Amino acid sequence: MLLENLRTAFEALAGNRLRSVLTLLGVMIGVFAVTTTISLGAIATAGITSQLQSFGNQALFITPNEDNPRSTDFNDADIEALSRLPVSILRQRTVRGVARAGTEEAPLSLNGVTANAPQVDRTLKLERGRYFTDEEDRRAAAVMVLSADAKETLFPDDPNPVGREVSVSVAGSRTFYTVIGVKEPLTGAFSFAASAAADIPLQTLYLNYPSVERGAYPFLPVTVSLERDLGDIEAQVDAILTRRRGADTFRIQTIEGALTVFNTITTILQAVLGGIGAISLLVGGIGILNIMLVSVTERTREIGLRKAMGAKKGVILQQFLIEAVALTVVGGLVGLALAIGVLYLAVALVPFLDQVVLSPFTVLLGLFVSVATGVVFGVWPASRAANLSPIEALRYE
Amino acid sequence: MRPAPGRRSERGGAPAEGRARRSAAPVIEARGLHKVYVMEGGLEVRALRGLDLSVEDGEFLAIMGPSGSGKSTLLQIIGCLDGPTAGSYRLAGQEVGAMSEDELAEVRNRRIGFIFQSFNLLPRATALRNVALPLMYRGVGSRERAERAAAALERVGLGDRLGHRSNELSGGQRQRVAIARALVTEPDILLADEPTGNLDSRTGEEILALFVALHGEGRTVLMVTHEADVARHTERIVHIRDGVVESSERVERGASSGAP
Repeated sequence: MLLENLRTAFEALAGNRLRSVLTLLGVMIGVFAVTTTISLGAIATAGITSQLQSFGNQALFITPNEDNPRSTDFNDADIEALSRLPVSILRQRTVRGVARAGTEEAPLSLNGVTANAPQVDRTLKLERGRYFTDEEDRRAAAVMVLSADAKETLFPDDPNPVGREVSVSVAGSRTFYTVIGVKEPLTGAFSFAASAAADIPLQTLYLNYPSVERGAYPFLPVTVSLERDLGDIEAQVDAILTRRRGADTFRIQTIEGALTVFNTITTILQAVLGGIGAISLLVGGIGILNIMLVSVTERTREIGLRKAMGAKKGVILQQFLIEAVALTVVGGLVGLALAIGVLYLAVALVPFLDQVVLSPFTVLLGLFVSVATGVVFGVWPASRAANLSPIEALRYE
Repeated sequence: MRPAPGRRSERGGAPAEGRARRSAAPVIEARGLHKVYVMEGGLEVRALRGLDLSVEDGEFLAIMGPSGSGKSTLLQIIGCLDGPTAGSYRLAGQEVGAMSEDELAEVRNRRIGFIFQSFNLLPRATALRNVALPLMYRGVGSRERAERAAAALERVGLGDRLGHRSNELSGGQRQRVAIARALVTEPDILLADEPTGNLDSRTGEEILALFVALHGEGRTVLMVTHEADVARHTERIVHIRDGVVESSERVERGASSGAP
């Protein structure tokens, strides 16, 4: 009987193919939105988490409080004081200029940093050559390490520009540097930071660009090893800087903090998409309700005949309920397939999403939502069909 | 309000003597049937007004009467498609009036084979599936359904049309499918509401011959018609007027019986 009703349902739906397809669109979009929402959240979280793990340590980022006019750049004494903690701190200043190598010319940021940069910044990996040494920093050697972007713009045809020269003009004065290394391209979550830049020793920067104030740092990247409790370190940093500079003169940011922002955005996005999904399901469900009422009216005589042949109420109810659920389940399956397609597309296109996370729960939820929509919106038309009087149904024109 | 029941009782409806194959109790026993339809606007139409009828097992009966006389209403009540407003109807000894909807569905399925003027087949389904439909509602397994439906179609002469959709069949063939569908459950009675009404006269004759043959096999057949030619094929003609049986006459043997 169930099989026969299933067959009847699909025949009835196939008999009105266009109408059936249009009807299941609403449910399709609803299930698509709901499953995409849930999965995207999971995929983004997994992506960010794996990026952080690949980062290999924890980080703080200290900036002056720009809302406080008494707040100033950090100085060497601040760094000395903070260095008593189990942290690594990168001294860094940046100037902007125009670089020229052969016939190529492009804007370039010069980052003056200390030689411990590869230890502090774990995203910094070299593709070719080497990083500069403490000794080169001390004697202000004219060497530079190019970012992958800078290498592409300045040496597009040279696979290995190590040993070649780059001239950089800053405020009219020109300086020559020898390339000693090229960085790997930034990947994943950090690729947004990719830019045409070159690292030079901090002392070289001071020497070549005397307008840069020595010992003043507009921000401090601080690295903490994974074994340490970041909250604890953060509290100590806060205590030390408050004692030295006064309250409210600086801000401490963590990647976890950035993650919180990211999570908030994800949640808002999920809520919006989920809302769209819920509304589509509601509208789709009303479409099902409408089309099932039409179907029951159109087939009043058929229902009368079936009852005359001995079909009981429950059988007719089941027949039309199956028809409604068949519509929504087909819609739901198409929506689910679309969602999976979009998820793979998203992972392929968005850099920090690295794999499709598709839990069985999500798939089951999508199916459950489709079945539930069919039942909720199909039960009224089906019970109308079941309660028709056989003789009135047979007489219906 | 209610007219005294049984005032104009059926004449000549007593069980005929000398027919050994018929059991003593009538298969259909209607007493004082009333049916009132309430139309929109509160207008009441009294289709049956205290009708009495009894039909023996194995009888072949024609119900005649002008339109509006209540003959179709009577057939629908006998077929358990509708209930009487008042009165008693016993089918094979069981009182039908007290039954629930699902019990009525059961009775329609097991005891009654209904044949409609407009065939009422499922247009997209094959002849075989149409005929198997009542067996499905009885819970018969699909293989047995197919076998029995094929046998029933064989019986009405459509053994070569099993896989045809009903909208690919001619009117006469469709009515044969409908008859096979009524036969397939081996019901107590076959009820036909103007079964030749939508057919040309030649095809109508063939369908009538089929009914005569089915009666010849011992089946009880009730047929509503307004054509005297059609009624003459039966054994007994019951005339209905204004919701009661006006007269009941036996058809004379050899008048025009097309039985083989």
